[in-house]
Amino acid sequence: MSKDRATQPFLPLTPAMFYVLLALADGDKHGYAVMKEVSLRTAGRTRLSAGTLYGIIKRLLTEGLIEESRRRPAAENDDERRRYYHLTPFGRQVATAEAERMDEVLAVARVKKLLGHLETA
Amino acid sequence: MTRKKGSFSDQMFRALMRLFPFEFRGEFQGEMEGVFREQRTDVERHEGVRGMAHLWWMTLTGIFRTAPREHIEMFRQDGGYALRMMAKQPGFTAIALLTLALGIGSNTAIFSVIYGVLLRPLPYRDGQNVVVLTQPMPGLGSDDIGFSVKEIEDYRAQNHSLDSLVEYHNMSFMLVGHGEPQRVATGVVSPEFFEILGIKPKLGRFFLPEDDKPGAPNVLVLSYGYWARQMGSDTNIIGKVLSMNGRAITVVGVMPPIPQYPDQNDVYMPTSACPFRSNPDFVKNRDARMMNVFARLKPGIRLEKAQADLSVVASRLATAHPESYPPQAKFTAHVERLQTELGRQARTTLLLLLAAAGMVLLIACANVANLTLSRLLRRDREMAVRAALGAGPARLLRQLLTESTLLALGGGALGLIFAALGLDVLVRFAARFTPRTGEIRLDGIVLAFTAIVAVGTGIIFGTLPAMSRRRDPADALQGGSKGTVGGGRRNRLRSLLVVSQVAISFTLLAGAGLMIHSVYNLQHVDAGFRPDHVLTMLLELDWSRYNDPSGAKSRAFFDSLLTRVGAMPGVVEDSVAMHVPLNESGPMSRMFQIEGRPVPTPADRPRANWHNASPNYFRTIGIPLLRGRYFTDADGPEAAPAAIVNQTMARHYWGEKDPLGQRVSFDNGDHWAAIVGIVGDTRDYGLERPPGDDIYRPYAQVSFRMARLLVRTVGDPMQLAKQVTSAVYEIDPQQPVAEVRTLEQIRTNSMTASKLTALLLALFAGLALAITGAGLAGVMALSVSQRTQEIGIRMALGATPRSIFRMVLTQGLGMVALGAGIGAAGAYGVSKLMSALLFGVGEVDWITFAGVIVLLLGIAAMSCFLPARRAANVAPMVALRWE
Repeated sequence: MSKDRATQPFLPLTPAMFYVLLALADGDKHGYAVMKEVSLRTAGRTRLSAGTLYGIIKRLLTEGLIEESRRRPAAENDDERRRYYHLTPFGRQVATAEAERMDEVLAVARVKKLLGHLETA
Repeated sequence: MTRKKGSFSDQMFRALMRLFPFEFRGEFQGEMEGVFREQRTDVERHEGVRGMAHLWWMTLTGIFRTAPREHIEMFRQDGGYALRMMAKQPGFTAIALLTLALGIGSNTAIFSVIYGVLLRPLPYRDGQNVVVLTQPMPGLGSDDIGFSVKEIEDYRAQNHSLDSLVEYHNMSFMLVGHGEPQRVATGVVSPEFFEILGIKPKLGRFFLPEDDKPGAPNVLVLSYGYWARQMGSDTNIIGKVLSMNGRAITVVGVMPPIPQYPDQNDVYMPTSACPFRSNPDFVKNRDARMMNVFARLKPGIRLEKAQADLSVVASRLATAHPESYPPQAKFTAHVERLQTELGRQARTTLLLLLAAAGMVLLIACANVANLTLSRLLRRDREMAVRAALGAGPARLLRQLLTESTLLALGGGALGLIFAALGLDVLVRFAARFTPRTGEIRLDGIVLAFTAIVAVGTGIIFGTLPAMSRRRDPADALQGGSKGTVGGGRRNRLRSLLVVSQVAISFTLLAGAGLMIHSVYNLQHVDAGFRPDHVLTMLLELDWSRYNDPSGAKSRAFFDSLLTRVGAMPGVVEDSVAMHVPLNESGPMSRMFQIEGRPVPTPADRPRANWHNASPNYFRTIGIPLLRGRYFTDADGPEAAPAAIVNQTMARHYWGEKDPLGQRVSFDNGDHWAAIVGIVGDTRDYGLERPPGDDIYRPYAQVSFRMARLLVRTVGDPMQLAKQVTSAVYEIDPQQPVAEVRTLEQIRTNSMTASKLTALLLALFAGLALAITGAGLAGVMALSVSQRTQEIGIRMALGATPRSIFRMVLTQGLGMVALGAGIGAAGAYGVSKLMSALLFGVGEVDWITFAGVIVLLLGIAAMSCFLPARRAANVAPMVALRWE
């Protein structure tokens, strides 16, 4: 309940923000990697620009949903100008809450045969 | 090649990064550039030109969406912090808000008047193309002699730059047929008059060319105000037949609710319906000038072109009719935009007041800057802590600017309330100079002005202190709150601000002082008559009833009235005259010739100001007889024509010789009037205008229908007003009485504009002085508290309290003296700029300047007194331990 109360003010997330959190869900990434992951996961339908991405990153940092990662890749793979971002436990809670919220919406859509209709079409 | 293009893109991206707040850039710029570079390299490699176009589109929209959001976020943070800081220091906030509100409020109020009167477009279609024509005769002292029908016809036929030139004059007529008979202010106009203004009727129609043909049925257009007020907004009014001057007249239209220029009329009629204007003798007389002329510039024609065109027509007229345009009159034609003309008289005064208000605002800015500086002293540690925690100098500057701007916006909002409260007074003031006061209001434009002034003010008084902030946080952290380390620059800045305040105050005080001196001079000028205990009223006889050419009917009316009024208890003298001194804007002058002297060509014939009065006129208002005699009842219609001249005219035309018995003619020698007396000079057309050549004729020998009744009384003249009015009604129950006032009121009235200007300037100067005094006191108090330790040492070394007192006072007065020196130069400039508004005040008015210096030094001494006493009372041991 208290978890809900904490995550609730962030919902619904904007699609871009949600994608950024999702991109970080399976490991720390630098900005460009996040950008590429989002593009890959959406088959190029959602592409972030540098301005948009860092506007989101700043907000997520301020809100404590992500943080700068202290772990860095091995020196031969590292570029020290890059910063790596890490999904905080709270960020994970928010992303999960958003996914659950979407799931509930999708359940309704399935009951109403909206998704079924789409799938059979 | 690709590399070069790429680096150009990267440079572009770097340039665009400037759109973000510096804090954001500081944190993410390097990384974002890196990401963009990688993204750009990828796209160039795999997606080519189309991909690049898409990338740039995405990048631009991303930046333009994110950057403003970041700025707003930053402002929200700074603003919240600023509001908390203000709440923490309510004293500072209140004083700063009040000071700024006075400064911004006075500017807002004056600007709203300036916008309404000088800048707002006229409420007509293409109002900027409506022009007004005048015929100045500067040689005769006239800005505009008006137009005759002949002249209007000539300008209409000969000009190439104006569309539909129309005439206008204003008369008052009796309107009967809708309730009580009423005297209505009537605009008599050409049929195209309303077309020129580009307005559409509210009801019915305006005039058609056929309405203006001789013999056409009489038609009338009602003004919106008159229709609403007197006709109860009757929508069936069109077609209604009323009676005007004994003639049937049909209402054909109602005007929309728009401001009317040049006069607020009740009704309008075409020229053919006006009995004076349609009189054949009047129409053919080139010198019978009583009309105003308006026109519209042809499309694409500039004002200068129209002016050149009309000058050609005027010089052609002067050549063709030298008797009407004597060379010494220096006759010309002048064209001016109606908008400019309507604001002409108000312009200088309003701009002067705006300058004064602007100076008050500058002083307010300096004061708040000084307050902020003192406050910063206490905040050095806070700023240093913030800097140590990573806030860059730009971030801190922004924080300070946000605070000052918010404060100024608050002051602006409060100032707007002050402006709204003071606007009524200003509107009444402006009404003395312009008919456009109906358009003065606090609207969006004025609000925008206030907002811009407030933000500008915030930036000005916020930047100065912020710039002086210590660069090295460590210094501040070590220096404690005492602020003596590195404070020299700030102290200099504070002193500089006070010196500027004093300089501006001096200039403003001098401006106000000059105006007050001028009003004093006006009040004490000898106008040549005694204005006390005289009642005046306007009696305009109805031309349709008092219509005999000999004027016997009107004379009988006036004689009977004078007899009745003269018999009233408390009446000393009574008389009628064509006009009352100081009540007219300009003289009515007539050409004359002197018997026995060579007859000058009509072009060179001299002119004199024409007066017409009953025998007792001079005694009633106390114009002294210098030689000969006043008019008497014996100067009747059948008696030998008589005339009286004033001293100036006697000296001007007869010099050392005696004018008594000399004869003059006003009709080319057909009739001669003998000069029977010389009277003192009077200032009839403004206290500031020197007397001209005046000639008086007895009313029994020259008839007139529009007269002023003058009654000298023993007690308060106004107490007799009712009784005198009843006497008028007893003789003619339909005769309206208007403009009932005392001669003293008329004299006072003629000075009101100058008095109000002086009052407003004095108000601004007083405000400036108060703010400056408070600022000086604050700076001195701070300086003493900063120097406590030094004062302690001085005292320990043997300085007496007296010498310390003197030291502080000298420091304060030194700043004032420097400021006054600079201000004196400003004051000299101001007196030159104001010379047109001043009367009897020399270029360097030592009396005023000396007064200003005394006043300023007095206030300065008062401001320094308390801090100086505090310094003198410092206990050396306490001071030495002072931290």
